[in-house]
Amino acid sequence: MSKTTLLITVAFIVSIGVAVFSTNTNTDYQFLKRQLKVSHVLHNTNKVLPNFSLVDHNQHLFNNDRFKGKWTLLTFIYTHCPDVCPTILMDMSMLKSILIQRGVETVPEFVAITFDPKRDTPEVLKTYITHFDKDFLGVSGDQTQIDQLIKPFGTYYERSIEVDGKTVIIPNGQAMPESVTSYSINHTAWLYLISPDGEIFAGFPTPHKPHNMADDIELLISNY
Amino acid sequence: MKRILISVVLIFQISLVHAMEYQKLSAIVIHDPWIRTAPPNAPMLGLFMKIRNNTNQDIRLVSVQAIGYVRAELHRTINHNGIMKMQKQSFMPISAQGDLDLKPGSWHIMLIGPEIVPKEGDTSMIYLEFDNGTTQTIHVQVGKGKIMMKHNHYTY
Repeated sequence: MSKTTLLITVAFIVSIGVAVFSTNTNTDYQFLKRQLKVSHVLHNTNKVLPNFSLVDHNQHLFNNDRFKGKWTLLTFIYTHCPDVCPTILMDMSMLKSILIQRGVETVPEFVAITFDPKRDTPEVLKTYITHFDKDFLGVSGDQTQIDQLIKPFGTYYERSIEVDGKTVIIPNGQAMPESVTSYSINHTAWLYLISPDGEIFAGFPTPHKPHNMADDIELLISNY
Repeated sequence: MKRILISVVLIFQISLVHAMEYQKLSAIVIHDPWIRTAPPNAPMLGLFMKIRNNTNQDIRLVSVQAIGYVRAELHRTINHNGIMKMQKQSFMPISAQGDLDLKPGSWHIMLIGPEIVPKEGDTSMIYLEFDNGTTQTIHVQVGKGKIMMKHNHYTY
């Protein structure tokens, strides 16, 4: 074997090794993405959550640390929602039952943060959220902080009001007329899996299929 | 003889009126109505059903009244580029010889401001008014719905 051939062979083996190492260290999770049924890996080290300080339905501080050291399944809701949000919470309840029935090692904590803290106080959330599962946790707090927190998730909401029989949209961050007391909220309806490092790891768009979601959650957690 | 003749005519007329009323009522049939069970402080609840139109004319559901609620509205949830939008409707169309499915994530009736949030198994009385002049009164039970109970799934 000539010296050049030997060098090429060594370089090839090294490049293969680097590729395998890259895959095994899961830096881009390409191998995982191909196996997922209903979710998307959203892991992006450049997309960190802002510092936030909210309050859970037991009046305890809910900040970035509450995501650390455990898996969390997070969603955003509001209690005046008659259709989409109850459906999400029922899906979450069903998903939790499936994971428990399967005897999985890790069942995430289920958390719902309100888009609408003005009406959804911690007291309101406690009664509302625990109807779906006694261990679900509702989170309220400062509207501005919630608006900041949803950004890295790609979550969006807008308020919809009726003026003289016509629908008027008020984007989030824009103040509503003081006379308005009744409004609904148009919003995205994803669920998010937060890693024990407190980072967004995966997202589940609608429609939510609890059995498939359970498959993906097992896969995501075991390959983290 | 005259009395008998009058009686026969009267019976015939009454039967005819009943037959016409029956035909009018069965023109629209409500299948499997249900109100989704909700938390005890829920400000609003969702009402779902399948509406069958047995006539050869398109029919619209134009208003709903619900006993025990401040008001009821016709709504439709639409997934617009991933944003779930709740859109109030002035009517719900049921095509000739067709069905309209009211289900989670789609057409639904919003029951707003319950006096007391009904529990699973309770019933609410609902009045439906259609644009062909007919009305229907139905007693609807609160529950998780057939679809949810079966662990099957609906789509948005």
